Amino acid sequence: MFEKEFQNIHDLAKIHDIIDYDVYLSKSKSFSVKIFRQDIDAYNYSDSIGLGIRVIHDGSTGYSYTEKLDNESLNTALLSAKNNARTVDYKETVVLKNYPSVNENLDIYNDELEKIPVENKIKKAKEIEKIALDSDKRIINVPHALVGDNESLFKIANSNGLDKEYATNACYGLAFCLAKDDNETKSGSSETMSRDFDDIDPIKISNEAVLKALELIGAREIDSGNYPVLFNNEMSATLLSTFWSIFSAKNVQEGQSLLRGQLGQNIAHPIVSIIDDALFSAGYNTRPFDDEGYPSQKTALISSGKLQSYLHNTMTALKDGTTSTGNASRSFKTSINISPSNLFIKPGLTSKNNLYSMFPKCVEIVQLSGMHSGCNTISGDFSMGAQGFYCENGQRSYPIHNFTVSGNFLQLLTRIVGLADDLKFKLSATGSPSILVENLSISG
Amino acid sequence: MIKNSIIERILQKALSNGADFSELFFEDSTSSIMQLLDSKIVKSITGNDCGAGIRVFYGHRAIYAYTNDVSEKGLLKAAEVVSKAEIDNKSLKVVNLIQTEYDSPHKIITPFSSISNNDKVAFVHLIDTASRNFSEYISQVSITYMEKVQNIMIANSEGLSAPDQRTYARVYVSSIAHKDNQMQTGSEGPGALMGYEFFKNIDPEKLGRTTAERAVKMLLADYAPSGKFPVIIGNAFGGVIFHEACGHSLETTAVAKGASVFADKLDTQIANPCITAIDDGTMPNRWGSTTIDDEGNATQRTVLIDKGILKSFMIDKLGGMKIGLPSTGSGRRQSYKFAPTSRMRNTYIDIGSDTIDDMISSVEFGLYAKKMGGGSVQPGTGDFNFSVGEGYLIEGGKITKPVRGATLIGNGKDILNKISMVSDDLKLAEGMCGSQSGNIPTCVGQPTIKVDEIVVGGRKEK
Repeated sequence: MFEKEFQNIHDLAKIHDIIDYDVYLSKSKSFSVKIFRQDIDAYNYSDSIGLGIRVIHDGSTGYSYTEKLDNESLNTALLSAKNNARTVDYKETVVLKNYPSVNENLDIYNDELEKIPVENKIKKAKEIEKIALDSDKRIINVPHALVGDNESLFKIANSNGLDKEYATNACYGLAFCLAKDDNETKSGSSETMSRDFDDIDPIKISNEAVLKALELIGAREIDSGNYPVLFNNEMSATLLSTFWSIFSAKNVQEGQSLLRGQLGQNIAHPIVSIIDDALFSAGYNTRPFDDEGYPSQKTALISSGKLQSYLHNTMTALKDGTTSTGNASRSFKTSINISPSNLFIKPGLTSKNNLYSMFPKCVEIVQLSGMHSGCNTISGDFSMGAQGFYCENGQRSYPIHNFTVSGNFLQLLTRIVGLADDLKFKLSATGSPSILVENLSISG
Repeated sequence: MIKNSIIERILQKALSNGADFSELFFEDSTSSIMQLLDSKIVKSITGNDCGAGIRVFYGHRAIYAYTNDVSEKGLLKAAEVVSKAEIDNKSLKVVNLIQTEYDSPHKIITPFSSISNNDKVAFVHLIDTASRNFSEYISQVSITYMEKVQNIMIANSEGLSAPDQRTYARVYVSSIAHKDNQMQTGSEGPGALMGYEFFKNIDPEKLGRTTAERAVKMLLADYAPSGKFPVIIGNAFGGVIFHEACGHSLETTAVAKGASVFADKLDTQIANPCITAIDDGTMPNRWGSTTIDDEGNATQRTVLIDKGILKSFMIDKLGGMKIGLPSTGSGRRQSYKFAPTSRMRNTYIDIGSDTIDDMISSVEFGLYAKKMGGGSVQPGTGDFNFSVGEGYLIEGGKITKPVRGATLIGNGKDILNKISMVSDDLKLAEGMCGSQSGNIPTCVGQPTIKVDEIVVGGRKEK
């Protein structure tokens, strides 16, 4: 698709004597329907395109983007990217190559998905709300009962002959409910994402959200102190998605990561392994190549506690004398950066139940709030609002709330003493099993 | 932009299956971002955002579609998508469009295009140099320079047609102080609804020194204590407490669903009588101001809480229909990619009569949170949390030493009653607020206030 527009850009570049450049296009369509009190609360449809141009001029890089693809807009975009390259005084070697493709059949586009009638999506969203409301009289409200899908096309070309594209799609269902008892309100949420519409199971989604809200009712406060802390799989994945940027080679090189100079060192407990896998089957961020067109791969970041690799694009790799890990990322509006694909902590072999009994008492955390304000990704310090359970004698004793958990992410990695076998991915494509941390500060 | 006759055809098409209301939001914006790092300009991006969103109502149900294809054909296709979402037997006609030109109190003096790139680069370098010269602990300074001109046009089936142009200027400075294995950040992000004159009025050296000073102070500070005690929250960005703890719960998005703790509290006492809170979109050239909201209504000044009594919510068109109250001109959205919903503008706690000295001397053991960091709230429960960017310990009625790493957590409904003292040093601070209709510019603000008791999450036990 868009052969004509890309050819126009190549022709215009020749006219303006622009030698080194690449072009990134994304086209996406999305649909979502939200139900409230069995009526349509929001119904959104979108169909949009954006095109970003990167021009390398005298060793500096300039960017521009446009949402209009007519010749005049493309011409303006090319010229302003070149002009921006002139403003930039940072010089960087940019490699523009025609990279090979991966051979795997990734199965990231399901033709059947776009054939699902809108009525079926509305019906499922209604079911999600109804099941949740009918399940328990303490469920007073389901502010979000949502079903949606999206599909995207990515196309990348550069001045050295690279020209490739891929399409991906997915659908999802989500429930967020409020439970009230006396003067106490608790919330619970659950979501499923898949490339098969039949996997969106309203019963499973609703029941899980309801259970999460109800089990926190009757929460007590907890005395401040240091406790062993069990993060359930979702909250551990949330922590990882908050702090992944310490693995970015760009942050390391810019002096904004605690992992500077730590390659080959033991930075986590020997039971901990962290992996980024862009080829992971059924992953939410599975793809054949990254946003520079570099082929995807599986990368071990931490193996048995030892830091093995950072996440690289081709520019950071060149500086470190290594090869890209296929983690270049951008949108058509932004410059090339680094981000994980499917990033996860490798699960252990024991059940989550066994983690409760590793200490006489522990605090289990099932909800966290304030990730963007209470976490400093540069220092690794965190202090977040939390809810969960006080656990004794190998099991949950009672729910607790109104407390914070604080510590430092790197320190936490060294203190992980238990990993369950319940690996789960969040919609952020970050996954983890439940983890047990031997000692963290809790204040209530 | 687009001819009236075409707009009327699009609005009519959107109504064609019996909708009650249709609206077109057209946007053509240009923006430019420049970033400095390692004392070098490392990034320069310019871009053009152009597209349109079409919204229809069937009763209280809102249907929204957006597209980049702003040709008549493209817009008619989007109108058809929204028209087909439901079917009713009504047949409304679009009222003849009459263009309203609002008189804007936000005058723009110097267009960005009249200033050379070299001058903009020189301004950014002045901030960087001042910050690095402040202390040898400063290991990195990141500066983002941002300018944006948003051209919009809103028309609806009730005959409204209103264009607007919004010019935004902002610079975000973050200084990192480094010692051994420790790093701390100090940030400031002043911005305004202004042209380049905004940057001319900033003292770049002072700005660079301020962020450096905070980073170094926190680097050398001890960890904050944990526990429940009185907290004095400084002015300006301290207003994030009200923004997060109460503001979001007063938006119709939360209220209309009963998902807000304040949903049924209109005209009742919800705060200590020393609290008056206002959401004002009319303040000339402020970051959160606009001439019209994103539904085409004139922006207003809305008193939310008067001496502790809840007086108004922040209301958009759809939210207003749901709760039976008129719009307060609070319908806002990031861009054509979002349906509008009720949002904050410049939201602040008004001045009181206490002095900071009296507040400090009333505290035996507590925290002075001079500068707040960011935060968030869950509107359903009112639970909030936010970080302290610059904090001090108060012991025996006196400020004793700087402390870092504190987080304040609590519940919006409770905290309003625990604010017991309000001073008169009102100041606003700029931020980006993210919610259902995207990231939009807003100001938070307050004078220095005292909260009698709040849970402080620190790293040390009291």
